[in-house]
Amino acid sequence: MKKFLLPIILLLSPSILFAAGASTQLEGGFKIGPAIILITILCVFVLVGVIFRAKDTADFYAAGRGISRIGSGMAIASNWMSAASFLGMAALMYGSGYHGLAYVVGWTGGYVLLLILMAGQIRKYGKYTAADFIGDRYYSQGLRATGAIIAILISISYCVGQFGGIGLMFKWILGLDYAPAVIIGGSVVLAYTLISGMLGVTKNMQIQYVIIIVSFLIPLFILTFKFDYFWLLPQIGYGSVVSDIASGVPIAETTQLFNALGHEYAMVPSPEFVMPWDPATGQTFFQWIAIAFSLMIGTAGLPHVIQRFYVVPKARDARWSVVWGLFFICILYWSAPAYAAFGKILSANPEVGKLAKDAIVVYTAQLGNVNPLIVGLLAAGGVSAAFSTVSGLLVAGSSAFAHDLYVKIINPKASPKMQLLMARLGTILMAVIVTLLALKNWALIAQLVAVAFSLAGVTIFPLFLLGIWWSGSNKQGAIAGLIAGLLVAVIALTYFIAGKEGVTLPYHEFINYWLGAWYFAWIGAPLAIFTNIVVSKLTPETPLEIRKFLVLNVHS
Amino acid sequence: MESNQNDYHISFFKPTTAQAKWNRNLAIKLILIWAVAVFGFHFLLRAIEKPTPEEAYVQYEKVWENISKENASIEEMQKFAHSSLSVLGKVFIKTEQKSALQNAVSWSAFQLADSAQKIMLIDEVIKFETLKSEINSISDPEYIATKRSLSELASSILGLAQNDVRTKLISLELASSDMKVFKAESKELIPSIMSTYLIHNQSFLTDFKFLGFPFHYFYSAVFLLILFVFLCWLYCVRVDKMHLELDIDE
Repeated sequence: MKKFLLPIILLLSPSILFAAGASTQLEGGFKIGPAIILITILCVFVLVGVIFRAKDTADFYAAGRGISRIGSGMAIASNWMSAASFLGMAALMYGSGYHGLAYVVGWTGGYVLLLILMAGQIRKYGKYTAADFIGDRYYSQGLRATGAIIAILISISYCVGQFGGIGLMFKWILGLDYAPAVIIGGSVVLAYTLISGMLGVTKNMQIQYVIIIVSFLIPLFILTFKFDYFWLLPQIGYGSVVSDIASGVPIAETTQLFNALGHEYAMVPSPEFVMPWDPATGQTFFQWIAIAFSLMIGTAGLPHVIQRFYVVPKARDARWSVVWGLFFICILYWSAPAYAAFGKILSANPEVGKLAKDAIVVYTAQLGNVNPLIVGLLAAGGVSAAFSTVSGLLVAGSSAFAHDLYVKIINPKASPKMQLLMARLGTILMAVIVTLLALKNWALIAQLVAVAFSLAGVTIFPLFLLGIWWSGSNKQGAIAGLIAGLLVAVIALTYFIAGKEGVTLPYHEFINYWLGAWYFAWIGAPLAIFTNIVVSKLTPETPLEIRKFLVLNVHS
Repeated sequence: MESNQNDYHISFFKPTTAQAKWNRNLAIKLILIWAVAVFGFHFLLRAIEKPTPEEAYVQYEKVWENISKENASIEEMQKFAHSSLSVLGKVFIKTEQKSALQNAVSWSAFQLADSAQKIMLIDEVIKFETLKSEINSISDPEYIATKRSLSELASSILGLAQNDVRTKLISLELASSDMKVFKAESKELIPSIMSTYLIHNQSFLTDFKFLGFPFHYFYSAVFLLILFVFLCWLYCVRVDKMHLELDIDE
C-alpha cells in the first residue's frame, strides 16, 4: 500500500508544504497552496480535454452515442453548476436564511418543467440553438436575430455573477482587492477559453463534475464530524445545526468547541435564520414565491440548458439525462445550505466581523479549522465551477454572435476563417463587457445570475412553451409576446440599475419590490404568454408546413 | 384542403392523437403534484403561521414602559439589557440598528452600576476601546485580558450567568459615549427593532422536528428536491411504458 501512497504523497508534497505555512486568517496575503491546486485543476481540465479530443476525432459520433445516461447527467450537472450554485446559494442562505431556499427550490424545480414540457420535444424538433428554433418555428429572420441577441444578453448576465465569484476567489487566493482580482480572474478565464478553443479541447464534463462535487463535499464531512453532528450524511446531519441556530447554542460546560479565531461554538437563539419570510431578513412571502417561480420557468428557458438536449442522440436519452442531471445537481444543492448554517454559528461572535457573503463557503471551512489544503481545494473547486460555466457561456454567446447574427444575417458569404475571427472577437468583447459589469459589484452572485433566469423566463420560455405546445402561436403573436416580456424586463432592469447608481426614478420602491430584478418573470412570463395567445388569435394562422412539422415530427 | 389544414393542429388542452392525449394527462398530473408540493405547501405555511415572540421579547414587553419612562427597577433594567443583548447577538442585525441597541445596553449597565463600579466600568470600556483601535490581531494577550475583565465586570452588573452566551458579547457591545444618556432616537427605535428581530412567523409546521430539522426547513431543503428527482424519474418511466404500449419508436 505504501508503495502506491509514496509517489502520490511526493506528487502532492509541494502543495502540502506550502499549504502548511498558510495562515488560518480569513483574509491575508497570497496563498500558494490554493493557487497551485487551482492551476493544477485547470491544467487537468485542458489536458484531459486534449487527450479526449484525440480519441473523439477518430470516432466522434460513436463516442457521443457511447456516453451513458449517467455520464450525460453528469455533463448536465457540470454545465449547470456554476459559482451561483457553488458559492452563491450558501451566500443567500447565510444572508437571509429560509428565504435563500427559494433559490434552491427554484433552480431544481425548474427541471421538472423542463423535462415534462420541453426536453423530448426540443430534441425531436432538431435545431441546434435557441435562436434557430425561434427563427424556424416562427418563420422569421427578425425573430432569429432577436433570439440570438437575447441569448447573448442572457449569457452576459449569467457571466457577470460568475466573474464576481471568480473575482472573490482570486481575491482570497491572491490576497488582492476585489477590482484587480476580477480583472486578473477575467483575463485568466478568457485565456483559458481561447486556449481551450484553439487546442480544440473537448470538455470532459464528467471529470469536471467529479472534481467540483468532491471539493464541495469533503469540507462538509469534516465540519459535521468536527462539531459532533451526524457526519455520515452531512446533508441530513446539518438539520441539527439549523435547529441549534433557532434555539441557540449555549456555551458548553464540558466539551469545548471553538472556531479558528478561538471563539466558542455558541450563539444566542436566532429563529430568524430558520423561520419563513422573517421580518428580520427584510424578505416577504411574495418574494419567496416570485423568486421560486421565476427561477423555475427561467431554468426551462435558458438557452445553454435547452441546447444540451440537441446534442443527445435520442429523445429518450434526453429525458433520462435530465433525471440523472437533476440528481447530480441536487447532491450540491442538498449540501449548500449546510455551509450557510455552519457559517452562521462559526461567525456569530462580533469579533469575526462582516464577511463577504459570496465567499462564505470558504470562510466557513476556514472558521471551522479545516486543513488549509482542503480549504484551498474548496476555493479552487469554486473557481472551477465558475470557469467551466463561463467558458461554455462565452463560447455559446460568441457562436450566437458569429453564427446566428454575423453569418446568417449580416454577412452570409463570410468565409470559415472570418467566422472564426468573429467568434474570437465576440468572446473577447463579451469578456470585457462582463468584467466591467462585474466590477460594479451590484448584488450577490446568485442574485445576478437570477437576473439571467428572469430574462430567459420572460423571453425564451414563452416562445418555446407555446411554440411546442400550441400550433396556433404564430409570428405576430411571438413578436407581441416578446415585446411584452422585454418591456417588463426593461422596466425592472432600468429601475434596478438606476437604484444601484443612486438615481431615484418615480415609484422606485413600488417597482423595485413588485418587479425585482431577479424575479420579474413572475408577471413578465404570464403577460408574454397571454399577449402571444391574444395576438395569435387575431392574426393569420401559422403556415401549414410548420403545423404539419409539429404534428408529425414533434408530437408523434 | 381546408379539412387537411385543420388536421394539423397541436394544442396542449385539445390533444388530437392518442400519444398527445396520454402525454397531456401525465403532464397535468405531474405538474399538479409539483405545484401543490411547492406552492401549496408555502401557501399553507403562510395561512397557518402566527407571530410568535421569543422569550427575550416577552421580557422586554413587560419592562419597556418603565424603561422608557426611566423609572425601572434593577431587575427590570437587567431584563431590558438581556433582551437588547439577545438582539445584538442576532445573525441578521443591521448596522444602523446596532447603535440604538448598544446605547440601550451601555446605558443600562451604567445605570445598574454602583458609584465605584461606574468609574471602573468607564475606565475599562475606554481602555478596551483604545486597545481595539490599536491591535493588529484579536489574539493580542493584553486585548484578551482586558476583554475578559470587562466582560466579567459588566456581566456581574447585568446579572448574566457565567455560561450565558451573552457574556461573550457584552464587552464588544459597550460604548463609552453611550453610557450616560439613553438617547431619544434610540428610545424611539427600540420598539420596532425588538418586534422586527424577536417576533417570528411560526406554526406547528415550523416547530415540529424531523430528522433534526425544523419540519418546514427539511421539506424545502431536502424533501422537495427528492420529490423533483422522483417526478422526473416517474415521468421517464411512464413515457417509456407508453411508447411500449402504443408501439412508438422515437
